[in-house]
Amino acid sequence: MAEGNNWMPPRPCEAYQAEWKLCRSAWNFLHHYYVHGELPTCDQWLRDLTSCRDWEERHSTEAQRSLCESERARVQAAQKNTLVWALRQSPPADWHLPLLQEKNE
Amino acid sequence: MAGAPDQRQPGPAAGEQLQQPQVSCQVFPERLAQGNPQQGFFSSFITHNQKCQQMLLKTVETNPYVKLLLDAMKHSGCAVNKERHFSCEDCNGNVSGGFDASTSQIVLCQNNIRNQAHMSRVVTHELIHAFDHCRAHVHWFTNVRHLACSEVRAANLSGDCSLVNEIFRLRFGLKQHHQTCVRDRAILSILAVRNISKEVAEKAVDEVFESCFNDHEPFGRIPHNEKYARYAHRDFQNRDRYYSNI
Repeated sequence: MAEGNNWMPPRPCEAYQAEWKLCRSAWNFLHHYYVHGELPTCDQWLRDLTSCRDWEERHSTEAQRSLCESERARVQAAQKNTLVWALRQSPPADWHLPLLQEKNE
Repeated sequence: MAGAPDQRQPGPAAGEQLQQPQVSCQVFPERLAQGNPQQGFFSSFITHNQKCQQMLLKTVETNPYVKLLLDAMKHSGCAVNKERHFSCEDCNGNVSGGFDASTSQIVLCQNNIRNQAHMSRVVTHELIHAFDHCRAHVHWFTNVRHLACSEVRAANLSGDCSLVNEIFRLRFGLKQHHQTCVRDRAILSILAVRNISKEVAEKAVDEVFESCFNDHEPFGRIPHNEKYARYAHRDFQNRDRYYSNI
């Protein structure tokens, strides 16, 4: 993580506001219920937006800590899945090769 | 992954189903024979093919799902060349498209893709397979669980199972219906490209469902519509700042 004077919020504050607004929209309530069978909770986006604005105004270390903690939790939640397959170290060797009929031509 | 053409097993690696199937596995007949794609009547071939190419061009230039997937694939070392990696062809049955891992090509069924919205959804679906092929060792032809996983992801993330699409299919349901749709469509897609029983397909999907339904790469979320896809694309473009500041 970038420390000290180089640190900035992981997302622009406008992005936190947009996500909070999207989360609270009627369409999102419908989509979330359709997918997960329950209504969404949007409080964390509002807390992150508040922290982001707090950082912009006062460079609050508490705001920085809160934002980092929140985003790390999101990343960990996404990564807790055990994948079905092994990830590649490099792309398939033949991805860019010409098609066989092109080679024959 | 499948090897050279003379070792290739029949049919595509992964496919998308259009409707309830009565389809054989040999959905891309021209890919089983040597030589060029089948041509029907000359005039309808030109019309279907031209329309397919035009819709494909519009999709890759404007659709946020597709633009994100293309960026993600480029980032993973699999930059997509429209002429090399897409092919508009006539297909048997009701299939809309497929991903052929043996040639690294996405097949678009020009005789079955109805309109621009459908084209965008098919391209998104197949690009998810291509993305999985690019980033992981997916054993398309030898491990039905791998195929099942990619089909679950494609049904989940492409918009195949949106509320609107399900209503148009006359499949009504609300609470958690999305997951029912993803499961059912993944099974249909597997059956369209593999000569296995429905029970084997169902078992594979059920075994991998939790893991693969929750794998949202490269979107980071389930994009319910283009707005969510645009936000996901914005996040992808912002990833350097994001990961260096958490």
